[in-house]
Amino acid sequence: MKTVEVSGLSYSYEDGTVALKDVSISVEDGEKVAVVGPNGAGKSTLLHLLAGFRMPFTGTVAVAGVRLDEGTGDQVRRNIGLLFQDPDDQIFMPTVEEDVAFGPVNLGMDDVQGRVERALRSVGIEHLAKRRPHRLSYGMKKRVAIAGVLAMDPRVLLLDEPTSGLDPRSRAELVTVLRGIKRTMVIATHDLDAAAEVVDRAVVLNTSVAWQGSMAELVSAKDVLEGAGLEPPQTAKLFRRMAGMGYDVQTVPVTMDQAAAEFAAVIEREAGRRRDGPKGTGGGR
Amino acid sequence: MLVAHVRGHRIRAEELDEYARGSWLVRLDARAKLVGVLVFVVATALLTETRLVLASLALSVAFAAMSQVPPRHLAKAYLGALPFILVASASVFLFAGAERGVDMWARTSSCVLALLVLASGTETFDLFSGLRRLHVPAIMTTLLMLTYKFVLVMADEMARMTVARRARGFGGGRSLLDRRGLRLLSYTAGMVFVRSSDRADRTYEALKARGFDKEMRPMRATRVGALDGVFIAWFATSSALLLVMQLGVAG
Repeated sequence: MKTVEVSGLSYSYEDGTVALKDVSISVEDGEKVAVVGPNGAGKSTLLHLLAGFRMPFTGTVAVAGVRLDEGTGDQVRRNIGLLFQDPDDQIFMPTVEEDVAFGPVNLGMDDVQGRVERALRSVGIEHLAKRRPHRLSYGMKKRVAIAGVLAMDPRVLLLDEPTSGLDPRSRAELVTVLRGIKRTMVIATHDLDAAAEVVDRAVVLNTSVAWQGSMAELVSAKDVLEGAGLEPPQTAKLFRRMAGMGYDVQTVPVTMDQAAAEFAAVIEREAGRRRDGPKGTGGGR
Repeated sequence: MLVAHVRGHRIRAEELDEYARGSWLVRLDARAKLVGVLVFVVATALLTETRLVLASLALSVAFAAMSQVPPRHLAKAYLGALPFILVASASVFLFAGAERGVDMWARTSSCVLALLVLASGTETFDLFSGLRRLHVPAIMTTLLMLTYKFVLVMADEMARMTVARRARGFGGGRSLLDRRGLRLLSYTAGMVFVRSSDRADRTYEALKARGFDKEMRPMRATRVGALDGVFIAWFATSSALLLVMQLGVAG
């Protein structure tokens, strides 16, 4: 079942600049998709448009079966949790728990306290409930913003550059949090390392859809990456370099888990080749 | 800077509400504080007898002293409001005499001090939320809250741009004769408004994305307790006594 369905979508800014042109994307229920592309590719615009904040547009947009138009914005947003790039744009209330409760209270949801506690727990910040958001680090603010979105129990999460501006540790922790969230997710990012750890599929956007496929396929598609100005994940770079040195690399991994598995396999194959004889030990090393 | 004037002195945006934390006053229901202080302010505004006006000022000072709000903070905030108080008092002094001028100073100072203690001893969101629960129209309380948020947004932008300007060696604009400096400051002000406008749009979209429907609702509804009753009774009794004595003097 398709939770997000976009067909022939085009949108221009007020000054006439084309932001999106004939974009067609669909996201299955429970699927995690990365929308990747360079700065100015229209990634954020696409997310804001899905949330009903950019009108008018041509084409069709449907979220959880509700077709988006001038009159259905609020209805569509009930199914969407939109995470803004800058958490300071999103965090409004004086304490963390009150901010997380903001959406559920507005939507008249039941068990607000329970929702807040679960949302805070799911992003690992239940100990910050009484704290003032503006006193927190940027990484923690991001988590508060995510908790605020999760507390609304949306069917679809739209995350705009969730890892931007984070230090390496905060970024790794956020990736772990995002991996743990079992929900339909669309992530706009140019951070392929983080995206590879979280998503099932990638869409390369550069005003229009340039390419769609799995992360592994994307990493192998050098011309697509170069055309979109994207850097492959560090793991992919490492194993390509190893292949260039003559090691028997059979798949280019995109996640740490895959990299660890492939690295063990390469070591095993190397050991086997050494046992079998001096031939073919990889002259490039 | 605008934020600073709201509270009467220069403080960083993130320090707002910090004074509300340490005071017993913060634990009271915002509605009780609003009702108590506003009754006192209205009663004080009606006083004309110098002794009673000074008594009202003494009550305000006592309220400030008991509030546990740091006196230094209150003094700074009062100094921010003092020019306005002095202008009003001076005009009365010139046209109605010294005694009336002193009355005006004492009356406005008493009201301003009580309101400053109320503002410093109550979290801003609670204050607006309290107004809403006292049936002030939602459009007004929501506008107040959004204005407050956007003033903070503008203050942040201004602070960032000031640092960026100084980081590149700018130290001008302190004299009316420094035309280049003033031109740069005017560009800065323009940029602050443009950037703040963009940010305000994003903030509003973020509110809409979380179901905001033009009314701010608190997570929990507080109740008026015995201590709140004592607070209101103290102000109501003081105000009534002052007014009765005023009527006695007038009679």
